Formats: sequence, structure tokens, C-alpha cells
Amino acid sequence: MKLKKLYAIALSVCLGISLLTGCGGQKQEGPEKPDTSAASAAAAEQSEEKKTLVIGDTTFNASNEEYDVNPHNAYSGWACIRYGVGETLIKYSDEMEIQPWLASEWENVDELTWKITLRDGVKFSSGRDMDAAAVKQCLEHLLEVHDRAQKDTKIASMEADGQVLTIKTSEPKPALLNYLGDPYGCIIDVDAGFENGIVAGTGPYVAVELKTDDHLTLVKNENYWGGTPHIDELTIRTITDGNTLANALLSGEVQAAYGMAYESYPLFQNDDYRISQIATSRCFFGKMNFDASSVCKDPAVRKAIAMGIDKEGFVAVLLDGNGYPANGTFPSGFAFGGDKVTAESYDPEGAKKVLEDAGWTDSDGDGIREKDGQKLTVKWLTYPSRQELPLLAESAQATLKEIGIEVDVNCTADHIEAVKEPTAWDVYAMANVQCPTGDPEYWFTVFATSDATKNQGKYNSAKLDELEAKMSQTFDPDQRAELAIEMQQTVLDDHAFVYCSFLKMSMISRANVSNYTSHACDYYQVTADLDIQ
Amino acid sequence: MREPTVRKQNIHHNHLKTRLIIFGTLAILLVVCSFFSEYLCPYDPYLQDLGNAKAAPSLAHLFGTDRYGRDMLSRVIAGSRTSIYSTLLLVGFITVFGTIAGIVCAWNGGRLDSVVMRISDMFLAFPGLVFALAVAAVLGGGVQNAIIALAAISWPKYARVARSQTLAQKETVYIRAARLSGCSSSKLIIKHILPNIFGPVLVTAMLDIGTMMMELAGLSFLGLGAKPPVPEWGSMLSDTRNLLATHPWVTLAPGFAIFVSVMIFNLLGDTVRDWLDPRNAR
Repeated sequence: MKLKKLYAIALSVCLGISLLTGCGGQKQEGPEKPDTSAASAAAAEQSEEKKTLVIGDTTFNASNEEYDVNPHNAYSGWACIRYGVGETLIKYSDEMEIQPWLASEWENVDELTWKITLRDGVKFSSGRDMDAAAVKQCLEHLLEVHDRAQKDTKIASMEADGQVLTIKTSEPKPALLNYLGDPYGCIIDVDAGFENGIVAGTGPYVAVELKTDDHLTLVKNENYWGGTPHIDELTIRTITDGNTLANALLSGEVQAAYGMAYESYPLFQNDDYRISQIATSRCFFGKMNFDASSVCKDPAVRKAIAMGIDKEGFVAVLLDGNGYPANGTFPSGFAFGGDKVTAESYDPEGAKKVLEDAGWTDSDGDGIREKDGQKLTVKWLTYPSRQELPLLAESAQATLKEIGIEVDVNCTADHIEAVKEPTAWDVYAMANVQCPTGDPEYWFTVFATSDATKNQGKYNSAKLDELEAKMSQTFDPDQRAELAIEMQQTVLDDHAFVYCSFLKMSMISRANVSNYTSHACDYYQVTADLDIQ
Repeated sequence: MREPTVRKQNIHHNHLKTRLIIFGTLAILLVVCSFFSEYLCPYDPYLQDLGNAKAAPSLAHLFGTDRYGRDMLSRVIAGSRTSIYSTLLLVGFITVFGTIAGIVCAWNGGRLDSVVMRISDMFLAFPGLVFALAVAAVLGGGVQNAIIALAAISWPKYARVARSQTLAQKETVYIRAARLSGCSSSKLIIKHILPNIFGPVLVTAMLDIGTMMMELAGLSFLGLGAKPPVPEWGSMLSDTRNLLATHPWVTLAPGFAIFVSVMIFNLLGDTVRDWLDPRNAR
């Protein structure tokens, strides 16, 4: 008996000691270090002075085709420009008008020729001067490897002379400069290489380390032409889960965040945080699949889907009012946007009738319609990194069920591969900045024309292609706007796309972070002004 | 010195009976309620009403509503069917399968025994949920696949229990006697072995219900179990965790449901174990 008691006491003493040492271990480390040597004391002092900032981002990942910061790789240019690595020839104002950036001025010599004068005194982070020859080399490489750039710009040849670059296009390209303001147009030093997806740009920060889907480390560019940046070391951390991002910002693990779920906003609407919000052309929309195997091949089904989504409810409740219901392709701020076009509005009864008339009836009483033995099931493909896309899917699932359409949601980070398989989806709901170049042509050539790079639904409209051909030759902005309206209406009449909402994009930071500001085109995030107190 | 011990046992025994009745009734109530869940829901658990989203608990909505305006109480009740029935199905399946495997191995011995037991060793060497995650990821989402994944990892425990018990029974005198008197193997197993190993297997199964419920909810939480909009407690927790700080009731409702039902089944399991314990002989 005594022995047992002794054992028990010994054990509890051991346990107590181990617990205490566990707690004490961390405390001791701090004060011990500076005492060891003068050198480490100096290092500690230095690190105290060193300004660091960590930004959490839900969208800097492979599932958004942002693999690295190489602008010539898919959509990685977005990361390049957002995190201050690269800059483009022109910059967009808050009103989405083009302004000089790396180009100081430009001239449209004739329909096919553009003369661009580059800014003096700009250096790449590799040390090389940015002159016309370097820009030419960069654009040549871009055209060689980037599909979208080739299609958009139609550059035939370039000539470099000191700081003047002359570009000739194979056909008239009124929106050439707008296109060169796209993130893929970031000017980089091609000779510096693309190792690990890291490039040498002209921006305020220099990428030093990168791991796709994990993090990007940047240091300040001491020789930046636009003044000295304030942050010594900047880290971009990929945190795809919105809830994790909210907790990281609350705990101070990150000091700023992009892509936060709107549901988490109430946590940050206080004096400890800053929210910078702006209306953008970022849109949640659904692409219809015109493949023969898809139920969306049937115009009635497409029309019913367009009539069966409660956009107002989605925006007011699930986006917490951080957006606007979408009518057409572009938001109302543009000359060719908003209610200049007419689209289907939420009308469940009307949608039921459309399906009824097309022969889709519920014959077995399970609430889902059938036609010729085929059940009206819509495979809805979407992805989670834009936090509200899954909510849109579940909301559409409920409203479409009302009208007799079953929605089978596949919400996967692997959507880029899934969408390539024509039988794997009927509606592909995605988020996209519709008018990042301030010009309407971009959207149609990327998503809607029969040869568009991202037309995975194989939508094919002769009328649209014809209008696009016309637009690509039209220089007058008013005429372009008119064409854009007609083109949107064509797409809407075919119900090839269903536009749900435009978003107010917001970036949230701790109150001691300054100049972390969102921009209407959603490109610019980290600038030389970014600072932390 | 012996007398007080006996009295203690008696008191314990009486408590045991009450406990058994209370927890048994609660568990049966839970199972019956979940069976009739569709008649018990005050609202349609799938019905969205965006105008009434994220409403705080009130008399109309006892557990409040979620971000789509769906009544949380109805969803928790509807979810009980998915959660409790999947768990019972899972535990039932692995109990039967594991026991059969264990008995067959013990009875036949030899190579079959070694092979099956080494396979079960392999399964036991994996960390349970991690393996289930891998299986569920290969098979894809859905409650059915989550059940298969968990069954694949959980059967060896039952096989082990059944095997060791059978081995012990196999060498008893009465089995030898029965065998000598010409009793066939199948009759021996069904009439003599099974009733005698039933207790330990039952106890293992009862104690496992709570764990399995948690693991199924865990898989659903990670997106490998029930798919939205099907109400399932684990996936409901996962769906609503963004709202934990701002609208806590949405997350608390399914969390509370998991807590209560796991507790009931665990307490029942404990009680059944005590009840079948020979030291508490009736």
C-alpha cells in the first residue's frame, strides 16, 4: 500500500515538473539571447528596426492560375503586378482611364503603328536599364509563350531606338495600350531569367523566394524609380480558406488580407482594422456548356437557369450587400455597362413555363423535370477560393429546385482541369474582372467569341464573331461602346452566360498598416507607399 | 471484511440498472426520433428564405436560421438521420464483418489465419482518420464513401476481439466434448461460440458508436462526407464555421447535437460494459 502511494507521489511530482518546464522553456529563451554576445545583440537590434509585413491572400494559388510571379505564365502576371514586382507600360486611373506608367507618352502614328516613349531612369531589379530594347525583348518573349497576349495585341513587329519603342500591329488595334496594361504586360528583364517563377521587374519590391500555393517573400527594391519603399521584408502567404484567413488576421499572424469572406467583415469593422473597399468589374457569372452531352445545349434550359437565380437575394444576403446584382457583362460605371442591356430577371413562374413549353415535365412526381427519359440535372462546377462562389452554388441549387431543375454542385480547387472535360459540367460559375483594361473587347475575346481562349463551353455565335471583327477595327470609343452593348445583348439573348453580381473588392489591414488600398481594376495592391507603423 | 464489499456491489448493481434504463431509453429515443425526423421537423430543412437569414434563436426558430435562412432546428433534426443512421449502419457492418473474420480465422487457424491477421495488422498500423481520409479522397465525397472508408479501417479491431475470444472458447472442455459427440463446426460456432463471445464484441461495438459518429462527422467536416445541401452535423459545422464569431448559434446547433448524441451513446456503452462485466454478476 505504501509503495503504491510512493509511486503515485513520485509520478505526480514528475508530471508537475515536466508541466512547469514546458511552460518555462519559452520564457527563458528571450532574455538569454542578447546576453550571449554583442554580435547577436546587434542583430537583434537590427531585426527590431527591420520593417516586415505579412499579407494573407485567398487567391494567390494554382487554382486561380497564379502559379508564381512570372507574367508570361497564365495568370501569374496578376501576382507580379499585385505584389509590386512588375509594372506595365500604362496604369489605370480609378476611373479606368489609361495613364502613363513605364511609358511616359505614346502616339498613334497611323492605324497600325504606335510610338511609345519610355520613362527615363528606370532600372530592373537585376540592375539592367529599362530601355526600348529590353521592353522589346520582353514583349517578344511574351508573344511567344502567352496565348492571350498574342490574340489580344496582334503585334507584328517592334523596333527599339533608345527609349522609343515603335510597335506595328498586323491589324488595327485600337485597344493596344489597354491590353498592354493587362498584368501579362508587366515589363521584366528576360535576360535575368525565370528561375522558379521569379522574375526581375521594375516594381518597388523584389521577389526572392517563392513556393506555389504557400508563400512569396519579397524585399524592397532599393533602386526603385518612384521613391524608396518602406517595408524591408514583405511576405505574401496563400491562405485559401476564408475562415483561416480571418483568424490569421485576428491573431496578428498576417497584418493585411485580400479576399476575405464577406461574412467575416463584422469582425473587422472596428478601430483596430482598416477596410479599403471599391466597386470593381469583378463579376460572379455562370458559363453555359454548349457541348452536345450537356442539358444546357437546350435553349429553354439556359433561359430557365437565367430566370431561376435570385441575384438580388444573393447580393443582399449572401454577399452582405458588398456588391450589385449584375444585368449584363459590365457594371453600370462604364459607358457600355449596367442597364444598357436587358437580361432575364428572377422569375421562377416564368422559368417553369419556359421549361413546360419546351417539354420538360415532372412525370414521376419527384419535383425534378424530365424529358425523353432524361432527368433535368445541371452539373454546376465552381471553386472555393473566391469565398462566395460556393454560396452562390447552394443558393442557385435551392432556387432552381423550385422550378424543377436539380443542381449537382461540384466545388473543387481542381476546376481548371475539370472544366476541360466537356461532360463534367453544365454550368461553370466563376469570378472574373470583366473590364480590367477599361475596354470592352477584352472580355469577348477571352470568353465569348468562337475562338476565345477561355470559351470552354464552345459557345458559337456567328453574329457575335461578326460584331467582334467590327469592334477590333473600330477606333472611336463611342462606337466601340455601342458595339459592346450589341455584343452583350447577343450573348444575353442566347443565354450563353448568366451574370449574377458585381463585387465590391476590399482589402483589410490592421490599423497600423497604411496605404493598403484597393483599386477599381483589382490589379494594384502593393505599392511603394505601403507602410506599417 | 467481506461484507461491506458485497453491499457495495449491490448498490452499484442497482445504480447500474437505473443507468442502463435511462441511457438505453435516451439512445432508443434518439434512434426513433431520427427515424421519424422528417415528421418532426417544424420547417422544410432545405427551404431557403434569404429574407430571414442569420436570424437569432427565437420562438419561431429555436436554434435560429443559417445564412440561407434555413431553420437550424429542422436541419439538426434532419441531420440526425444522416448522422445517427450512418453511424449505426457503419458499426453494425464492421461488427458483423469483423466478428465473422475473427471467428473464421480462429476456427481454421493455419495460413488463412496468418494472412488475414497480417492484413489486419497492416490496417492497424495506419493512423485511423488519415487512412480514412485517403480512402474517401480516392472514392470521392458522399456519406456512402465515408462509411466505406471508415469501415475499411475499423474492422480489424472486431476481428481481433472475436478471434481471441474464439481461441479461448475453442480450447474449453465443453467445446471438446461437443465436438467429440459429433457436433458440426457450423453448429458449434453458432450455438456455442457466438453466444459466448457476444458480450465482449457488443461492448466494443457500443463503445465505438460515439467514436464512429465523431469520425464520420470529422470526414464530413473536411468535405469528404455528406455534400451540401444534405444536412449532416459535421458538414453543417464546417459550412458555418465562418459565422462562429458573428452568429455563433448557427455553429453551436450541430455542435451541440453531436455532443449530446455522442455522450448518450458513450454513457450507454460504458453502462453496457459494466453490466456485462462478470464482476457485477447478477
